[in-house]
Amino acid sequence: MDSPPAASPASDVPGAGGLMTPATHLERCATGIEGLDSILQGGIPRGNMVLVAGSVGTGKTTLSLEFLVRGAERGERSLFISVTESSTKLVQNLSTFEFFRQDLVNQGQLVFVDLPNLYLKLGLEREELSPEEIDILIRTIRDLVRSTGAKRLVLDSLTSVCYRIRRDEQIRDFMLRLGQELKEAGCTSLLVSEIGPQPGRYSLHGVEEAIVDGVVLLWNTRRMGDILRVLQIVKMRGTAHSRAQYVIELTPIGMLMAPHLKGGRSEGGP
Amino acid sequence: MSDDHRLFDIPEIDQPLSTALPPGWLALLLGHSGSGAPLLAKQFAHSGVGNVPVLFYTTYERSEDVRRTFDEYGWDPAGIKIVNLADEYYERVLERGLDVARAREQGLSFEEALTRPEEDRTARSFSLTNRMLSDLAQIDHPFRLVVDSVDFFFEVLQLSEVTTVARQIRHRCQTIGGQALLTAHSIPPDRPVFGLLQDLADVVFQLRADPHGDRYEHTLFVEKAGHRPELSRVWRAQVQENGWRVEPPVARG
Repeated sequence: MDSPPAASPASDVPGAGGLMTPATHLERCATGIEGLDSILQGGIPRGNMVLVAGSVGTGKTTLSLEFLVRGAERGERSLFISVTESSTKLVQNLSTFEFFRQDLVNQGQLVFVDLPNLYLKLGLEREELSPEEIDILIRTIRDLVRSTGAKRLVLDSLTSVCYRIRRDEQIRDFMLRLGQELKEAGCTSLLVSEIGPQPGRYSLHGVEEAIVDGVVLLWNTRRMGDILRVLQIVKMRGTAHSRAQYVIELTPIGMLMAPHLKGGRSEGGP
Repeated sequence: MSDDHRLFDIPEIDQPLSTALPPGWLALLLGHSGSGAPLLAKQFAHSGVGNVPVLFYTTYERSEDVRRTFDEYGWDPAGIKIVNLADEYYERVLERGLDVARAREQGLSFEEALTRPEEDRTARSFSLTNRMLSDLAQIDHPFRLVVDSVDFFFEVLQLSEVTTVARQIRHRCQTIGGQALLTAHSIPPDRPVFGLLQDLADVVFQLRADPHGDRYEHTLFVEKAGHRPELSRVWRAQVQENGWRVEPPVARG
């Protein structure tokens, strides 16, 4: 089972203890996932860039897609940039969820873009992106957000992009500039980070989590023979949030959250 | 002389070389711009028609221009497969390069970002060599091949790739009895590849145009003829209505 990175829980009781001073003046981008918005005091601060980190099968993509669908339902144009999976396949998988609405795709409220297509069109095919090519990539994402007026964006995954940006300082620069562009556009973003089960890191290079405004950590844990998905908000700038662990369930109607009770014996927990 | 020993349909050249060359061989024809080497290459292609399949790869002329030249000299191009590698390369690689440059400079529109690239334009690299060698691979009996000219290859391929393709053509010629002529118009003699290609070739010709009074005189050098140095010759060459013809050089006093 996965061991989550060592995020010292402020409290075992959700919503209690270790909270920052509330920054209620910030405009919030409601994720539309009830439990999550409750923890985040209404949602992610508008324009924030958040890392959704977890290993395989922890629900990163589903959480991100629901964030977009709920946004599109609210009239916020939502953009999913897929690196590893074709958008056709994603939509097929998504259609098994009741919360998904094909009409939002048809109306252009929910937009899927395959990054490999952009790579081809922009000639970004070399294994390692040069600084100029990184700049082109940032400008392309910025232009996409501007031209669509997108208020929500998911990049799935940041890890796949960062595989092609080898140097830490270039990743830092990429993240800072991308974050700045998205913030200026008032676009709230989730960047999916694929991590292994090793504790202590939330991203491929370890640089990414320092730049982003927030980190949502997902992992699997075994309890009484079941595999549970667990979520923890590790970091969210501008938000007084609980750092407690929540069990999540990916249901047809969307993600459901419940406090992760510490009774009984569990493996893979913090 | 049997038809399959005809190189250029120039008896003075064909006769001695036909005895010196194995059934399959690679020839190199050097000739700067204005030397007339492309015409000699076409003459080589034409003289193979009727005996073996003939492939003519041009890298700088339009296919219709190649055909027109054949027609002008009364050579029927019907028996020759003419392929413009430069056009294919342009369509498959360079045109895409232009699209990429535009996309990088001006950005992609929303619609462009959503559409898939055209399949035939997504090839990461169009291999000139594969394009040509796959044609050759489909022939399992003697053939005649002209590549006019390999200079283009040096512009778009790595040096090692050019020498590799030359070796593969030569190997194919030796294996199934093919006869291949590669022309080179502008390789500086001091480039290492120049010597490498000369070493690889079984026969090396050079066609030169030198000013003499108010006109140019052409000279055809047979610089290498298999392992028969005694067959190396210098010929005075002239274009006549049916192509190049040679005669012994005029001794100048």
